[in-house]
Amino acid sequence: MVDLIANNDVLENLRLELRRGCLILAVLAELRTERYGYTLRKALAEQGMDIDEGTLYPLLRRLESQGLLVSEWREENNRNKRFYRLSPEGKGILRQLSEDWKSISVSLEGIL
Amino acid sequence: MELIERYLQAVAAALPESQRDDIIKELRDNILSQVEEQEHTLGRPLSEDEQIELLKKLGSPARLASRYRKQEYVVGSSTFPIYWKILKLALGLTFLLLAAGSVGLAASGKSFFESLSILLRYPSIALSVFGWITLIFFALEFFVGAKCRLRDEFDPRSLPPLTKKPVTRKSRFELVAKLVMQTVFSVWWLTGLHYQFLIFGPGVVVFNFAPIWNTLYPFFVIAALVDITRTAVMLYNPAWNGLRILKYVNGGIGFAILIILATRTELFVPANSSVETQEIVKNVNFALHLGLMVAIVVRAITFIVEVARLVAKKVGAAHGVSAGTV
Repeated sequence: MVDLIANNDVLENLRLELRRGCLILAVLAELRTERYGYTLRKALAEQGMDIDEGTLYPLLRRLESQGLLVSEWREENNRNKRFYRLSPEGKGILRQLSEDWKSISVSLEGIL
Repeated sequence: MELIERYLQAVAAALPESQRDDIIKELRDNILSQVEEQEHTLGRPLSEDEQIELLKKLGSPARLASRYRKQEYVVGSSTFPIYWKILKLALGLTFLLLAAGSVGLAASGKSFFESLSILLRYPSIALSVFGWITLIFFALEFFVGAKCRLRDEFDPRSLPPLTKKPVTRKSRFELVAKLVMQTVFSVWWLTGLHYQFLIFGPGVVVFNFAPIWNTLYPFFVIAALVDITRTAVMLYNPAWNGLRILKYVNGGIGFAILIILATRTELFVPANSSVETQEIVKNVNFALHLGLMVAIVVRAITFIVEVARLVAKKVGAAHGVSAGTV
């Protein structure tokens, strides 16, 4: 029983690690089009990438502080919303990461 | 939507001050967007149970707020909110105990520096408290880790009610400085009543305190402890309702001291029998007596105005409720 719980924990941690990098790539890619948090989350969910608020919003702030995103507050539907989009630096990083991802993906296909 | 505002209020309380407003604005928009979408689908406003369900999905306010903090490497992110709360409480209690010790020593007649020496031990004791608590949480994370994740279940109904106006927080630095100054001042004042040269300086050869100050001594000790406790609590939880009670207790003690002093014509006594000294002390007593009478009148007027405001507010609120129910 203890082993089973430990294995589940290990699996959960590995999944988290695997997802973390993928999420960043997915968020950067989705923000080639300007979006605010809620619509970004919905767009990711529609593509099968569910992400909770507690992960998404801090991630957006982190990416913005790293200079990969830019944001601005604007009014839409009578409410102020914070819109995010890729910065020129973010576009360059996304291009490189996409190439890395494709290369890893091809390699893994062969290995798996 | 009151439940949502209570949730946001609780998240805000746990966020770093510099980012608080911005994060809350964004979170509010996100939650309201979800509410609007669900209401649009259902064709009716969300029930309280549905709002609770939505908030539960966001996780506890402390857990959500902790995600916005930098990654902590010594203490796990799941246990960090509890670690931080316990650490703040322990450091605050340690300061309170040492401050009470200093005040106690001053009250027992020890010298100013001897009394203050207890408080000066705070940095080393605080470091040790910090070390032990961090070590315990580090061990918890390292040895027990994921098997003992603290549960993130919370009931939105038990969130604290909305404060009528946003709690105006003084900066942490300001409060810590105030706490230290209050303690040093209390120790100085309480030892000064025993060793009067600390208060009068060279003037101690001209006049001394009259016996009434010794009679009032216990009031000064209580007022000092209540005042220090109040500031320490403000540092830990500025929204705590008991702060107002502590404020009234101290206000009451201060007013009682003022009235007792004002009933005496002799607040200082001459330190020697020279006619000149006696004349000076007489004039000082007269001026102080007048000053105290003015202070009592001002305090009484302030008190009456405050009570009148409170009554008007209650009457206004009751009127609003009855008008709303018609």
